Amino acid sequence: MASRRRMLLKVIILGDSGVGKTSLMNQYVNRKFSNQYKATIGADFLTKEIQFEDRLFTLQIWDTAGQERFQSLGVAFYRGADCCVLVHDVNVMKSFESLSNWREEFLIQASPSDPENFPFVVLGNKIDVDGGNSRVVSEKKAKAWCASKGNIPYFETSAKEGFNVEAAFECIAKNALKNEPEEEMYIPDTIDVARERQQKSSGCEC
Amino acid sequence: MTSNASSSSFSDEDEESAGQKPKTGSIDYSPDAIENQLPSIALNTSIDEEKVSVADDHHEPVTEIARGSSREIEPERLISSTGESNLSTETGVWRNSSKVEVDGATSSPCSSGYAGEMGTSSGTASTSGADDIQELRNNSSSVGNDGEVLHSAQWVPGKRHVDEDDTCMSWRERKKHFFVLSHSGKPIFSRYGNEHKLAGFSATLQAIISFVKDGGDRIHLIRAGKHQVVFLVKGPIYLVCISCTEEPYESLRGQLELLYGQMVLILTESVSRYFEKNPKFDMTPLLGGTDAVFSSLFHAFSWNPASFLHAYTCLPLPCATRQAAAAILQDVSDSGVIYSMLMCKYKVVSLVGAQKAPLHPDDMLLLANFVMTSESFSPICLPRYNAMAFLHAYVHYFDDDTYLVLLTSNSDAFFHLKDCRIQIENVLVKSNVLSDIQRSLLEGGMRVENLPLYPSTRYGSLFHNEPSDRSQESLQPGIGGPDGLWHFIYRSMNLDQYVSSKFSSPITTHQHQKRLYRAYQKLYASMHDKETGPHKTQFKRDGNYVLLCWVTTDFELYAAFDPLADKGSAIRICNRVCQWVKDVENEIFLLGGGSTFAW
Repeated sequence: MASRRRMLLKVIILGDSGVGKTSLMNQYVNRKFSNQYKATIGADFLTKEIQFEDRLFTLQIWDTAGQERFQSLGVAFYRGADCCVLVHDVNVMKSFESLSNWREEFLIQASPSDPENFPFVVLGNKIDVDGGNSRVVSEKKAKAWCASKGNIPYFETSAKEGFNVEAAFECIAKNALKNEPEEEMYIPDTIDVARERQQKSSGCEC
Repeated sequence: MTSNASSSSFSDEDEESAGQKPKTGSIDYSPDAIENQLPSIALNTSIDEEKVSVADDHHEPVTEIARGSSREIEPERLISSTGESNLSTETGVWRNSSKVEVDGATSSPCSSGYAGEMGTSSGTASTSGADDIQELRNNSSSVGNDGEVLHSAQWVPGKRHVDEDDTCMSWRERKKHFFVLSHSGKPIFSRYGNEHKLAGFSATLQAIISFVKDGGDRIHLIRAGKHQVVFLVKGPIYLVCISCTEEPYESLRGQLELLYGQMVLILTESVSRYFEKNPKFDMTPLLGGTDAVFSSLFHAFSWNPASFLHAYTCLPLPCATRQAAAAILQDVSDSGVIYSMLMCKYKVVSLVGAQKAPLHPDDMLLLANFVMTSESFSPICLPRYNAMAFLHAYVHYFDDDTYLVLLTSNSDAFFHLKDCRIQIENVLVKSNVLSDIQRSLLEGGMRVENLPLYPSTRYGSLFHNEPSDRSQESLQPGIGGPDGLWHFIYRSMNLDQYVSSKFSSPITTHQHQKRLYRAYQKLYASMHDKETGPHKTQFKRDGNYVLLCWVTTDFELYAAFDPLADKGSAIRICNRVCQWVKDVENEIFLLGGGSTFAW
């Protein structure tokens, strides 16, 4: 990496409503947790500065609304994303089953140049609930799914207790970075006066 | 009150802080009166971190959307921008700041909390040299009567308040923000504050734009209280202006167009190809080191009429002097130089083009702005000439003000252009063009107090008068021109040029000049209103001025008079101004003959 300039990484958080996307983000950025559930309307945005291998990064975290009725931003949300975080609630099977849909939806909308290797991270949230007794999605099952989708990193988290949240986001940042494309030289053309004259004169005749 | 005033810093932009808004009406500044006026606004708590969900009480911002039904958008509820510090404080960004405005404008004692905060934050921004300059507003005697010279002497280019972000009160108080972001919501440029810290805010803007776009529509403007949020989408690049300066929408949009043009001048529109290939494309490194160019452009938005008239202006010069300059520029122009421009600041001394394509006044403004803040041989793009490709600009300063620009398509032409420049310089020195330019800078130009009494042939030229007489005259306060004429701008339609009178008494302070500038801007927009216009004449009287505007197929005249001026005599004076402009036109305009720019 030639330049040491500061980079901005766009991270999208997706998952069914109520799995704890906003809470995870809030725990990560503000180290706060609230038990109250408030549906995200449209989207929410947070930024966090991180240091990684002596470089400063800004994470621009896009917390999306899980509820279908707010799914109106489509392409705009996903465009130019550097990493996509898929979240499910380990206590709700349906939220886990939805991961495939979220992933496909993202790949269709964002249409990244190399979909096979686009960095995803999967988080199984709410492992604290009921001491783990109400859990229905096992770690093994989640890991198997991740492995089948090209070895997506998997983290078990608790936004409430702050468990594993920092580690998960560190991995997210790392993966977003890995996907950084090689810098292209920026070389626009120079005006070719001779050719323009030709074009212009031919234009004048008609 | 006093502490508030002293913490407000002088710069060209009183828009940097809402607290400096000029108030003309008589307002009772005592705390009681303010509390009576604003009983419902809790000024005391407005800096409180805990003041959380104000936004939920305000859903009324009206959206104006280009086509189709006026769909209501509730930005605060739909999308909330959250910064690092506190999730919930962010929700009411614009609502909060409009309160701040009320607060600052009335300078109530309750605002002392703000004043303190403003003071500290501007203190930390060490790059903002202009901020250290004391407020001159109350000290009009120290202000010269030539506003333009005054501005450029005190204005320091460079980005200001780089440490701020959207959680800072001082940032929210800024009267006019400009943002540039990519279509994936990543920040590219922000007038104030740190782009990275504004990443969340930038994402919010993108979401608003995209939300409307996804509905098959386009967002142009959101009004929220005193704030206007103006949007401009240029392919993958989104530009947004958020302003409470009361400038017309058309003006703000025009400024966004110029801001985009300035980026194109530096990078060409080829950036869009890179965005197509890779939506993650980051163009900020390509704009590295250009902060001064943009801050200078924002400065021009507040004092350079070229930014809304789409016309350029010439340095007044004796006809023979200008011809001498044109002749030598013409000589080099056959040797692969596409355009040669001899400029003095933003004013044209002479202009020669080898091609039969006139240089667009907007391109000239952007080029001059770039040149005056940048390097000497650089690739540049003229957005109105060819937005996709570069030309190469050779720039040389003959003195502090006067510079030569040679444009070529040959990137290896540096040494040839240098030879051309030496050739030109020799001629300019020998024929006294450079010294005439300096003389004109010092004493040239049209002054309202010199408006001749017609019929008279005494003033066939601007350069006959004894300079000493004139300067004495203009030092006397409160005179202005005949019949209360204070100032005028004359724009020639077929020349794409304008001339404005020098600022004379009583338009001497920076504040007055800016207010007049804004009044002209408004007048221009209303005359060219697409729905009700275009209009031919307008006579408008308010507490500050009588404004008279007269539009014909040949020219547009904007004149400002004493508010007590008589309508009949104002019209008579305007006729005399037009006659005067005609009489001296070969000194104030580049006329068809010598240049190739007359078609």
